[in-house]
Amino acid sequence: MKTTRCYLANDTSSRAAGAERLAAAWSDRSEIQLIRTSSRGAFFLEPMVERDTADGREAWFNVAPNDLPRIVGGMGGMPVAGIPFLQQQTRFTFANFGITEPLALDEYQTRGGLKGLAAARSLSPEAIIEELRISRLRGRGGAAFPVWKKWQVAQQTGSEQKYVVANADEGDAGTYCDRMIMEGDPFRLIEGMLICAQAIGATRGYIYCRYEYPAAMRAMRFAIQKAREADLLDCDDYPFDLEVVTGAGSYVCGEETALLESLEGRRGVVLTKPPYPAESGLYGKPTIVSNVLTFATIPNILVRGGAWHASLGTEGSRGTMALQLGGRVKQPGLVEIPFGFTLRRILDQFGGGMAPGSRFKAVQVGGPLGSLFPESQLDIPICYDAFAEAGAILGHGGIVVYDDETNMVELARHFMAFTADESCGKCTPCRIGSVRGREILERIQGGRGTAEDLILLSDLGETMKDASLCALGGRAPYPVLAAIEHFPDEFKSKLSAFSRQQ
Amino acid sequence: MTTHHGQRLAETLETCRPASRDRPNILKTLLAVQSAMGYVPTSAIPQIAQVLGVTDAQVAGVLSYYSDLRTQSPGRHLIRVCMGESCTANHGVLVLRAIQDHVRVEGGGTKPEGRFTVEQMSCAGNCAVSPTVMIDEDLCGRVTPSDVPSLLKPYP
Repeated sequence: MKTTRCYLANDTSSRAAGAERLAAAWSDRSEIQLIRTSSRGAFFLEPMVERDTADGREAWFNVAPNDLPRIVGGMGGMPVAGIPFLQQQTRFTFANFGITEPLALDEYQTRGGLKGLAAARSLSPEAIIEELRISRLRGRGGAAFPVWKKWQVAQQTGSEQKYVVANADEGDAGTYCDRMIMEGDPFRLIEGMLICAQAIGATRGYIYCRYEYPAAMRAMRFAIQKAREADLLDCDDYPFDLEVVTGAGSYVCGEETALLESLEGRRGVVLTKPPYPAESGLYGKPTIVSNVLTFATIPNILVRGGAWHASLGTEGSRGTMALQLGGRVKQPGLVEIPFGFTLRRILDQFGGGMAPGSRFKAVQVGGPLGSLFPESQLDIPICYDAFAEAGAILGHGGIVVYDDETNMVELARHFMAFTADESCGKCTPCRIGSVRGREILERIQGGRGTAEDLILLSDLGETMKDASLCALGGRAPYPVLAAIEHFPDEFKSKLSAFSRQQ
Repeated sequence: MTTHHGQRLAETLETCRPASRDRPNILKTLLAVQSAMGYVPTSAIPQIAQVLGVTDAQVAGVLSYYSDLRTQSPGRHLIRVCMGESCTANHGVLVLRAIQDHVRVEGGGTKPEGRFTVEQMSCAGNCAVSPTVMIDEDLCGRVTPSDVPSLLKPYP
């Protein structure tokens, strides 16, 4: 019998959507050979099965086990190139997704992998950093700091030991692109980190991964082992050692100084800066801490050149951004596009509008420390500057859509309760402010709040913004105050009857 | 702690003992203990501190700081229901209630010797196929309250 090669994603979300069920149901079917790839990120279509045709891959969506005869018979499939959600994207960092087997180093190389590292190894550290300066790449983790500046500081700080640390503590609710990279294209992260090591002269690297990502950690450890066996972990003939380290469920460990404290095995408490980690980080040595997506963006910059990267996007935001759609949107999934699209266009063109039967109420961009946008503000372009002007942040690119059933008072309480739970306790505005903020919102929710409580909450929010040590306390009030600003009636109608009469 | 547990703790700690010029790593050690025993008993703090050459307070401080470190033995299976924003928007709280009800009815409870321990988690990174439930290391997506009985069935 002829065997048909079929492709099925092995990514955590695809498995959670049913890919594993298919693989189990078809495990003894000799008419197909199932290749487990990364996911294309069109999660609304998962589990999705693909097969080769003369004109490229063809796909079947939301597949159930009894769809196998149709797939083997080649009936009812759709060309992958004809899926609008994917076809309208500009994929560079995520170009391999859905195509390759994540842990096949040869496939990674066939598709252009390791060329960035080869380019870096032919350049001086200064020339690598110059290429990054030209690229105008900014960190994709949230703070959006120019990457080359950090690298230059670390490169110029003399030390026998330097470190490269990938921040894989992807804690912002609504984000999953780092998990996808680690599970789906792990060699890209390794390549980005090796380029950084080459530029600053680091001999050790760590991937600090959150406890909630066991599959990502397994994939990374396996990929590191393969890279080691292929002698890739050599920097100028001295060994570069790379290790995956597990976090333990602390959101604030996504902040770089807290992350480094945690990496040293202590409580993940935020430290005052300066000194910045690039001068004095892990064990007091120069350390580059960057988010997984940032490292994964770097190989292409070395291959195609900094000017190529700078030619994409908007004035202050160059390159592409990986946006992650979730919540009550019809087509949740990963969207890589150049900066500059409006939020409305993202939700319509890629999100496909609202999930059936639901009506739009608000969209949250940038995780729990981001901001809430009502319908009237959806024309904001996705770029760092426009978001900064609106008092918002792009953060790590998480976009969560809420429908009209959402209770904004409850959502605001949820945000404050999250900060109160996750505050490291180092600075007073965050440690105490978040608890008091949560208490006020609980009071309002219980119908015991007064108009003064809303003023108090606003005052408290301003204090936290101005006086907190890191972005957890400093940004936590934003979504809460935005909820009050855009949906004031919901809060006012909850105030105690006595207060409303005043 | 039973004798058996004590032995397992001692064995695990031996592998975490820092070499003479290495720095002790408290978090890594606690994760190793949890991985071997399922939790970190507070009664083990002095022993852990002694092996690492740090104070009891330092160990207790790290142990109490991280929410994924547990000081009580969980049930045979750990159910974590995601309460992240995407899951919340997709009514994950109804799934949480259905699981709590189901576990209560089945008598599993959250006692150490029970079948299930039910917890909330802040985001599983599975937002595109929410609501999410994590059972041990298995992630389930697009979960509805009516899925709960069949979802928990494979976990004896």
